[in-house]
Amino acid sequence: MATAATPAAAETTAVRALTVMVRAMFPHPSFPDGPYERCAETILGAAGEDVRFRTQLDQGLRDLDVAGGAPFAELDDAKKLEVLRGMSSTEFFEGVRSRVITSLYDDREVWSLLGYEGPSYDQGGYASRGFDDLDWLPAARIEQGS
Amino acid sequence: MAGTNGAAPTPFDAPIASQSFSHDDEDVVVIIGSGAGGGTIANELCQQGVRVVVLEAGPHLTGADYVNDEWPAFTQMAWLDNRTTSGSWRVAKDFPNLPAWTVKAVGGTTTHWAGACPRFKDYEFRAKSEYGGGLDGANLLDWPLTRAEMDPYYDKAEIKMGVTHVQGRPPLPANNNYTVFANGADRIGYTQYATGPYATNAEPYDGRPASIQDGFNFQGDKHGAKWSTLITELPRAGKTGNLDLRPECQAVQITHNGGGKADAVLYLDGDGNLQRQRAKVVVIACNAIESARLLLLSASPLHPDGLGNSSGQVGRNYMRHVTGSVYARFDKPVHMYRGETMAGVVADEAPHDADRGFAGGYYFETLALGPPFLAAFAEPGSWGPEFTEIMDAYANTAGLWITGEDMPQETNRITLNGAVTDQHGLPVPNVHFDDHPNDAAMRDHAWAQGEKMYEAVGSTGAHRTTPYPSTHNMGTARMSEKPGDGVVNPHGACHDVPNVYVGDGSVFTTGAAANPTLTIVALAIREAEHIGGEIRAGRL
Repeated sequence: MATAATPAAAETTAVRALTVMVRAMFPHPSFPDGPYERCAETILGAAGEDVRFRTQLDQGLRDLDVAGGAPFAELDDAKKLEVLRGMSSTEFFEGVRSRVITSLYDDREVWSLLGYEGPSYDQGGYASRGFDDLDWLPAARIEQGS
Repeated sequence: MAGTNGAAPTPFDAPIASQSFSHDDEDVVVIIGSGAGGGTIANELCQQGVRVVVLEAGPHLTGADYVNDEWPAFTQMAWLDNRTTSGSWRVAKDFPNLPAWTVKAVGGTTTHWAGACPRFKDYEFRAKSEYGGGLDGANLLDWPLTRAEMDPYYDKAEIKMGVTHVQGRPPLPANNNYTVFANGADRIGYTQYATGPYATNAEPYDGRPASIQDGFNFQGDKHGAKWSTLITELPRAGKTGNLDLRPECQAVQITHNGGGKADAVLYLDGDGNLQRQRAKVVVIACNAIESARLLLLSASPLHPDGLGNSSGQVGRNYMRHVTGSVYARFDKPVHMYRGETMAGVVADEAPHDADRGFAGGYYFETLALGPPFLAAFAEPGSWGPEFTEIMDAYANTAGLWITGEDMPQETNRITLNGAVTDQHGLPVPNVHFDDHPNDAAMRDHAWAQGEKMYEAVGSTGAHRTTPYPSTHNMGTARMSEKPGDGVVNPHGACHDVPNVYVGDGSVFTTGAAANPTLTIVALAIREAEHIGGEIRAGRL
C-alpha cells in the first residue's frame, strides 16, 4: 500500500481497501458498493475509538496486500477467499468480521435488498399489509388438533 | 389506523400509580424484580390489601420508548451488565459476556417475551420418577407439587394473560411463517399444530387491543396486544394504592436479624446511593441468574455460603432448555418477519418417548428474526459465501425454534466471579453450562425433524442454528420437599429463611418442555395467595 500524502488521503485509501475486504468476506452479488462503503466507514470510525483495533487494522490491511502475492483488490474472488481464510483466526480478521456483522446488516439499503421492510408499527403493522399473503401452500388449520 | 402515532389509546397510556412508603416501614413486602414473577406477585398482593415495594433494577420504559429496530431495542431493553461464562456450551465462546437475553426494565422479561403458553404436562412434575435411569449426571428431582394442584392456578394465569385457544378465547390467524410451518408439520404426520396457546390478543381482551401483526414483540410490543406485567399487573397494582414502584433500584443484599429472619433489603438507587428498605417479607424475582446471585451476595457470618443455601443448591441446577433453530430456504417468498413472532406451536414431540433415545420432550415454535439479529445469531462467527447464502435467502426463509426439557446438573451453576466486578463494584455472576448427553441427543433429533418439516413443503436448503443466549433461565433456587434437596419449599419460601421467598423460574425443580412464563405466573399467583394468607394469619 502506497504511503498516503495526507491524513484525508490515507483515510480514503483505507476505506477503499476495507470496502474490498468486506465485500470479499461477505459477498452479496446483489449489493452495490454503497452498503460496503458505509460499513467500511463505520469500522474505521470504531477504529478511531479503539487504539488496539486501529493498530491491528493498519497492519492487517498492509498484510492483506502482500499475503496473496499481489494487491488484494487485484486478486480474483477465489484467491481473495483463500487469503482471507489464511488469516481468519487473527485478531485483525475477527475485529473486522464482528463489526461487519453489526453494521452491514443494520443498513437500511441492505434490509431493502434482502427483502426486509423494517419498522412496521407506524404503518399499522402487517395486519393489512401481507402478514398472511403466502399463496404457494394451502391455508393451514389454526385451531389445536384433536 | 387505530393505535398508530398515538391516534388511539394503547394500554401504555395509563401511568402506573406509585406511593412512597417509608424506608423504615416494617409492614411492607419488598419484591425484587417486576417481571413475570415479581410483577404478578406484586399485583396479587396489592389486591389483597398488602402494601408492596417493588425494586426494579431497570428503567421505566413504555410503549412510546420502544423502537421497531433490533439493535437499538436490544441496547435499550436487554440486561447488559457484565457477566462471565464458562463450560462447553457454545454461547461461552460466541457471546462470553452475554449468557442470557433477558430484559432490564420495568416489566422485566415479559416486555420482550414472545408469548407461547403451553402448560407443563402432568408427568413433567415427576421427572425423576418418570424418566428412569440412564441419565448419569442429571440431578433430577420430583416437584413437591402436582399438575392437579397447579391446574386452578394455570386457569387463573391463562385468564389473566388472555391466552388464546383456551377457555373459549379465539386463535390468532396464521401468518406466512406459520403457514409454512404448519403445512410442513402436517405433511410429516404431525397433528398437534396450532397458532397458540399464545398470550397476545386475537381480539380485544381485558383492556388490550388485538394484535396488528407488527412483528416486534421482542422489541417491546408498542401496541400493547401482548400480556406483560408492565401493562397489566403493575398498573392494576398501582390503582389499589398499595404499590410503591422504584425503577432503577438494584438490590445488592438481603439483611437478616439474629432470629433467622430477613429484615431489610439494601439497594442502590438511581444515583448510586445505598439505601435500606425495611421488609416484613422479601420476594426475590430477578430471573434465575440474578436471583441466585443476590442470594449468594447476601452471604454473612450466619449464612456463609449465601442466604438460604444450607443445601448448597443455590445457583446449581441451572437450566436453559434445549434450544436451537432451523432456518429453511424456499424458492418462493415467505416474509417470516411479518406478524406475531411465535404464534405457531407444534406439540407432537412434546411427550416423553424413550424410544427416541432421550428423556423428555420438546416443542417447535415459529420464530423470525430481522436481518440484524439473523446475521448475529444464525451462525455466530461465520463469514464467506456459506454465510451470505443464509442472508441472501432472507425473504424466502421460514424459521422455527426448539424448546425442550434439559437435564438439571449440579455443575451447571451460577457463581460469583471473584475476579470481575460490575459497574457498581459487585462480583459479576459467572454462568457455567455443559450440555448433558440427553440435551444433545434431543437437540439433534429436533433439528432433524425440523428440517424434515420444511423439506416436506419444498425447502431448497436449511441451516441448523445453535442455541441463542438463554431466554429461559431456571432452576437456580429449586423447589423441594426436603430442605437438603433444594432451596425453597412448595410455597416458594426458603427452607432456611421463612420470610424470604423466590418467585421466578429459579424455583423450577425441573424445566419441562414448555416455555416457562405461564408456569412462572401460575406459581406467582399461588405464592401470593399463600403469602397473603400467612400475613393475615400473623405467621409472617
